[in-house]
Amino acid sequence: MSEAPRSEAPSAVPPASVVLVSGGSRGLGLAIVTDLLAAGLKVAAFARTVTPELTALGEKYPDHLHYGSVDVNDSAAGQAFVRDVENALGPIDALVNNAAIGQDSLHVHTSAEHLAEIIQTNLTSPLILTRFVLRRMLAKGLKGRIVNITSICAQRGYPGLVAYSATKGGMDAATRSLARELGGRILANAVAPGFFASEMSAVLGQTQLDQIVRRTPTGHLTEPEDVLPVVRMLLLENTNLNGQVLVIDGAASI
Amino acid sequence: MGEVMTAQGRSLPAEDTADLREIGFRSLDFSELALRVEDELGDELNFDAPGLRRIATVGDVLDFIEQLQSA
Repeated sequence: MSEAPRSEAPSAVPPASVVLVSGGSRGLGLAIVTDLLAAGLKVAAFARTVTPELTALGEKYPDHLHYGSVDVNDSAAGQAFVRDVENALGPIDALVNNAAIGQDSLHVHTSAEHLAEIIQTNLTSPLILTRFVLRRMLAKGLKGRIVNITSICAQRGYPGLVAYSATKGGMDAATRSLARELGGRILANAVAPGFFASEMSAVLGQTQLDQIVRRTPTGHLTEPEDVLPVVRMLLLENTNLNGQVLVIDGAASI
Repeated sequence: MGEVMTAQGRSLPAEDTADLREIGFRSLDFSELALRVEDELGDELNFDAPGLRRIATVGDVLDFIEQLQSA
């Protein structure tokens, strides 16, 4: 079947109205959920563990937030959650793939089982969730938006993050192919933050973080607050951005 | 197929020989159609991309959907 351009320009993808955020109970995910609720959107969030902070948001926004405890690796539970969201908030027209697990081990000292777990959680499960949400969107004739939260690790090498970097690179690549495959009907982009100050680890220690700060023109590590306006823009604005990976690291990596 | 096109402000030509390129029916539109059929069948219709490339007319679409349903 051809992919010939339409004779008329396709209409713009409308701003998101119901956004599903995976891994929305803490850290950047929680910050995204909070920000989108404040912007007036309906938000659905799940994570393995529902935190008091997410519960508090649910009490503050009872009509706009639907949340639950779902492991992103449990695809059946994830799909059931999506259906619950549709009943509670309406059809989902945007997905933020944020759920991920980190890594803090040199490759040679990472067990095969842990490698598989990282790949499953950070790459396979988000792709399965994306597939399911896209199928729901397309079946309902909706346009929509996808934002994948990836990492500067997908583009630059850092010790102790081999499998993690591979999964984030995989999501960046998937973002580009999704944008092509979805023909402008669904905008797919990725946001790749630099290191957060909270990410200090045994492998990437204070010395390495200090070095990153010194080499960053803006002089500071990335904070969740730096990322929020970019995610919001990708979900709400009409920018013609599609298939892109937006790096938010103060130019540390260029 | 008509519902998919109507939702996009277009109409389905009466002739089975109508060229999909000319009427602006793209592979994503076919996906939407297949998903609507899935909803009715209650079963997934998964297929490879090469099968789609042979589809050029309205009649091809209808034949392909019929084959998927009977497979």
